[in-house]
Amino acid sequence: MSVDIAFVGDTLLQLLRALPTTLLLFAASVAIGTLLALLLVWMRVCEVAVLRHLARSYIFLFRGSPLLIQMFLLYYGLSQFPEVRQSPFWPVLRDPLSCAVIALALCTAGYMAEIFRGGLLAVPPQQIEAARAAGMSGGLLARRIIIPIALRSCLPAYSTEIILMMKATSLASLVTVYEVSGVAQRIIAETYRTLEVFLCAALIYLVLNFLIVRTLAWVEQRLSPRQPVTASPTTKKYALSVRRG
Amino acid sequence: MTTDPVLQVKHIRKSFGNLEVLKGISLDAHEGDVVSILGASGSGKSTFLRCINLLEVPDAGEIHVAGEQVAFKRGRHQLMVPANRRQVDRMRPELGMVFQSFGLWSHMTVLQNVIEGPVHVQKRPRAECIDEAEALLEKVGMADKRDHYPAFLSGGQQQRVAIARTLAMRPRVILFDEPTSALDPELVGEVLKVMRSLAEEGRTMLVVTHEMGFARNVSNRVVFMNQGLIEAQGTPQEMFNEQHCERFSRFILSHA
Amino acid sequence: MIDLIGFGAKGWGSVLLMAALMTVLVTLAALLVGAVLGALVAAAKLHPSGLLRALGDGYTTVFRGIPELLVIYLFFYGGSALVSSVGGLFGAEGFISMPAFLVGALAVGVVSGAYQAEVYRGAFQAVSRSELEAAKAIGMPLMLRFRRIVAPQILRFALPGIGGVWQITLKDSALISVTGLVELMRASRVAAASTGQFVLFFMTGCALYLVLTGISNLVFSRAELRVGRTFRRS
Repeated sequence: MSVDIAFVGDTLLQLLRALPTTLLLFAASVAIGTLLALLLVWMRVCEVAVLRHLARSYIFLFRGSPLLIQMFLLYYGLSQFPEVRQSPFWPVLRDPLSCAVIALALCTAGYMAEIFRGGLLAVPPQQIEAARAAGMSGGLLARRIIIPIALRSCLPAYSTEIILMMKATSLASLVTVYEVSGVAQRIIAETYRTLEVFLCAALIYLVLNFLIVRTLAWVEQRLSPRQPVTASPTTKKYALSVRRG
Repeated sequence: MTTDPVLQVKHIRKSFGNLEVLKGISLDAHEGDVVSILGASGSGKSTFLRCINLLEVPDAGEIHVAGEQVAFKRGRHQLMVPANRRQVDRMRPELGMVFQSFGLWSHMTVLQNVIEGPVHVQKRPRAECIDEAEALLEKVGMADKRDHYPAFLSGGQQQRVAIARTLAMRPRVILFDEPTSALDPELVGEVLKVMRSLAEEGRTMLVVTHEMGFARNVSNRVVFMNQGLIEAQGTPQEMFNEQHCERFSRFILSHA
Repeated sequence: MIDLIGFGAKGWGSVLLMAALMTVLVTLAALLVGAVLGALVAAAKLHPSGLLRALGDGYTTVFRGIPELLVIYLFFYGGSALVSSVGGLFGAEGFISMPAFLVGALAVGVVSGAYQAEVYRGAFQAVSRSELEAAKAIGMPLMLRFRRIVAPQILRFALPGIGGVWQITLKDSALISVTGLVELMRASRVAAASTGQFVLFFMTGCALYLVLTGISNLVFSRAELRVGRTFRRS
């Protein structure tokens, strides 16, 4: 079995042409999903019982059912109603790409909300208490202490979710969006050169994943406490302060 | 010359569910007092301290800080809550607290920990806070670790930073909740040394502790709590040497 | 409209329930495939040999990093081509497709295996060294040690992880619908398309999935409690 370089090259080109679509699906859904998740987790921990239960139900719904059925429900289901078809949102909702983005965002928001909540729960209570004892409360306490610590705690789980989102973009091909997996399937169905096309598509996704993992690892590294590189010089600055203090 | 007490606590009662932990405690502290609070586990000493800076809210009683009374009201589920959030936030820095578990903020360096309160709560100018912080770190012997993160410090080092952090808020009274109980024995000394120097400076301190040496040699008043009440109090001379209270004498023997 | 999801003449109720059963069956099959593969890959990743570890790492990196849909296409189109050429050797003519159930179970199984490998690896590393050494010290042979000491502990530590993998695999099974297998996703879609009632059937399908994940949650929670009952810490 000889490797057909020309075919592989041509396939790669076709797949790469679909790459911007995949990236758009990914970036848009992650961004919108994260914002929605922040709202959800705020609802989840707030004092109003109704909001708490709403958030819990949302999270249960979107984490307990497959993304595919959610996407079909949105894409096919909405077109069922004349009210929707005549609304000003219809051009957006009719477009498979935006439909896919919305479905992806709604789904990931459920998972991310739980991740953020895990981060909040992981904040050591002793540090919160020390902040209260220093006179912090409300927004100041959240902004300076709780959120920074929660963020650092949940970064690994958030990174995992982001990578899952990259894979989830492939489902958009099942609602007629021509992203990488969709194009791959089309080429396979036409040429039956399954293995070569699979390897090309797999390669693209693996490279994307590698880039994402590296970026997130860098962010995690920047945010985590490290030993200082150089020893701080104890010079006359301290002597002066002692005199003044 | 009698001056008004800087801290006055009257008839504090506190229950957790059906368990009454504080059964009516009253205490006064004047400026310069170093009060050691001793007692067995479960006697309510930590709860009492936490009531003073309102980390727990007493079910009954009065708290006066520098002449100002803390206002309470009945809130949800018939529990007492502070009536004025702002008053609480303003008063807490006056009552600096040093915790058993240090509570240093893990995402900030030592220096950032110390200036956080002064800059963001008391809204003092940053440069002034940094200068003062560096002086305080020098005083507790942690000046060279200013850019380190708490995770890389020993327990004794973290506690000394926590003390500097509390001092940076310029408190009238410093509350110590078993500051050395979580430390390895060889690290206890360095923290006690710092506390001793604070006492010698004339700071007003309330210390819940098991360290008999500190209670005996550094404090000017010893309070013995038992089952939610103050069983005995007096000078160290009265409590340790003259042994007015039998139960306290037995307590000292079992904790020596 | 309710009679559409009922069990009457027009009702799709029985179809949906049968399809839900198919979902559970194919998920079980995939999980078993994944268990075998996962155990092998975990063993490879723990092996002293650098080559085996690299192969194991490669497996988990690839199959956790690429979309499940691609793997399904690989087995669906590729598997059918394989079966057809094998069939050709025996004189059969034309295109023979691989059974959809097999495609689904294998594809989702291979992906599930990558996640299960990580669970087993972590569980193995969590087994208490001192308990193992105590067993060695009293002269227990290797197989007996594995059976009596290591395996039960791996089970205890792996159970939460496997519960998570089951939930993921259950939801991934919806992708198998592209092969034509009549599991819950496909059944919902067919019913919706043929009646035009998209919202009704997709929501019903959704609800059935929620029932499945809910029951799975309960089952795994009970199992974790039972298995962990002799251990003090969580």
